[in-house]
Amino acid sequence: MNPDTTTTTTSTTPPTSTACPAEQPATTQPATELSAEGLTLGYDAAPVVQDVSVAVPPGRITVIVGANGSGKSTLLRGLARLMTPRRGTVLLDGQDIARLATKTLARRLGLLPQQPLAPDGITVADLVGRGRHPHQRWFRHHTDADDTAITAAMAATGITDLAERPVDELSGGQRQRAWLALALAQDPDVMLLDEPTAHLDLTHQVDLLELLTDLNATLGRTTVLVLHDLNLAGRYAHHLVAVKDGRIAAEGPPADVLQPGTIESVFSLSCAVIDDPLTGTPIVLPRPPSGGRRAG
Amino acid sequence: MTARDTVVVHAARGTVALRLSRRSALLTSALWLAALALAVASLGLGEFDLRLADTLRVLGGGGTLIEYDVVVRDRLPRTVTGLGVGAAFALSGAILQRIAANPLVSPDVIGVNAGASFGALLVMTVVGGAGASLVFGALAGAMLTSAAIVLVALNRGLNGYRLVLVGIGIAAMLSSAISYLLVRAEYHQVLSAASWLTGSLANRGALHVTIIVATLAAAVPVLLVLGRHLRVLELGDDLARTLIGGAHRIRLALIITAVALAAMATAAAGPIGFIALVAPQITRRLLAGRSAALGPAAATGALLVTGADLVARLLFAPTELPVGAVTGVLGAPVLLYLLARANRIGHTG
Repeated sequence: MNPDTTTTTTSTTPPTSTACPAEQPATTQPATELSAEGLTLGYDAAPVVQDVSVAVPPGRITVIVGANGSGKSTLLRGLARLMTPRRGTVLLDGQDIARLATKTLARRLGLLPQQPLAPDGITVADLVGRGRHPHQRWFRHHTDADDTAITAAMAATGITDLAERPVDELSGGQRQRAWLALALAQDPDVMLLDEPTAHLDLTHQVDLLELLTDLNATLGRTTVLVLHDLNLAGRYAHHLVAVKDGRIAAEGPPADVLQPGTIESVFSLSCAVIDDPLTGTPIVLPRPPSGGRRAG
Repeated sequence: MTARDTVVVHAARGTVALRLSRRSALLTSALWLAALALAVASLGLGEFDLRLADTLRVLGGGGTLIEYDVVVRDRLPRTVTGLGVGAAFALSGAILQRIAANPLVSPDVIGVNAGASFGALLVMTVVGGAGASLVFGALAGAMLTSAAIVLVALNRGLNGYRLVLVGIGIAAMLSSAISYLLVRAEYHQVLSAASWLTGSLANRGALHVTIIVATLAAAVPVLLVLGRHLRVLELGDDLARTLIGGAHRIRLALIITAVALAAMATAAAGPIGFIALVAPQITRRLLAGRSAALGPAAATGALLVTGADLVARLLFAPTELPVGAVTGVLGAPVLLYLLARANRIGHTG
């Protein structure tokens, strides 16, 4: 054994290039494919997700939408192997995730749960560092790769300056960025996010989704999120999946899925759809019951 | 990016890279030194007073026969048992609190200690056993109680709050069962049981030392290997399962270790209250910005029990209080504070 060398690492501001390694999607290795085949999931007698087959486009952002209780979060949990399928399989690059070694899956698949709760009083840097767990062993806690990943994740989410602040003292938007940084530090091939914008105000919702879009453009990582807001889903999704009663009602580019007829059947909402004058993406306008103006 | 006070030790060409928090390492050493200093001081204090130099001389093998008898045969087992059970209760509390992400999920609050007490008391009064058989009673009682708590609280996954509420309910049932046992028991049994039930370090001997030292010797290696997973387990079930391969098995192993630690500490010294609850909370605040690491938590527990026992022995000397009476006075306000805080913010993170 070598004589131990003790290195004291002090926090330094990372070079910005670490955050954005390339303008183009990183093409060193192809993006990971995630798909479900005949997937049936449930807690009790009645299945929540029934016979769902879906192929998530590799390297793109897929958004799952659906009414409350439609099974969209359950579908996401099934894709993350948090639920054992009653029937069917989830495939990661063609391999059944039920048969993948748990440690392998922990490095390849990242999840940001709905409303995660940070341990009392811990700092942002500590929280983000925990995302490196699957890459560490009990005799190897910390490597240069860990440092690089943590620094890059905090820079990419713009929270480098908050590193030593307690997570409980952050605003809602900052806190969600810290959790996202944890998932980025894990450096998974596929990232699953369950309603990452819940309980954020509109500014911070847009902020977070822009950040995810940028990250997707630079890193080309397969990303799946559950969202409630159809207009934001329409703006930020490359691929949209509409879930109704545990089955896929429609999927495709947002402009194809967000049609008045589809929305009416999936959400029981009568509406009109117009083009967003700013982005050209679809905007869903719920129709007032009277069919006309409500005021003035 | 490494947290500010972190030291990374590299060895063996990068195959070993240990990360240590300087603050945590310093704190652990300081707390252990303080606990040991108190322990040595307590060896010299009492009806038969010795100066520090004399105590150390006796420990080194010198001194008169009487001094040896008082320090090594009478007081040393008590002191070592105190240090050991303090560490064991604190470790148990730190593990359970972090896994449940709830400071109220401590073995003393949710009834694990009560289960161990009931098991030991059953052996003591009904079977008429003593010594080693108490250990089995305590262990069986604690394990069965924990299994019952988890089974009742289980409902699509474990929830910290349900665990606390079910645990408090089961602890209440056990306390009436304990009362029943005491009513049925012989008078002389009741006297020793009552002192034992408060948590007492009086009249400890080689058996108690063996129980707690063997328990720690078995538990510490497990915690050295599995303890690091706590930093992910405390992030909640979903993240734990995505970030750890085999999270369920690791969590179960840690829970069993924590319950065994509390059970054996109870077997050795009775259910000394509040150490498991308070020690990790103190540690967390001393570590500022980190979770309650196991090393400093164990040191805090050892220091608390040794200090409390010293107070219990000296405050009303020559009458001696059970150590549990002192930890109760110190710990109850902390429990009230945590409960009040939990109520205000809606969770007890």
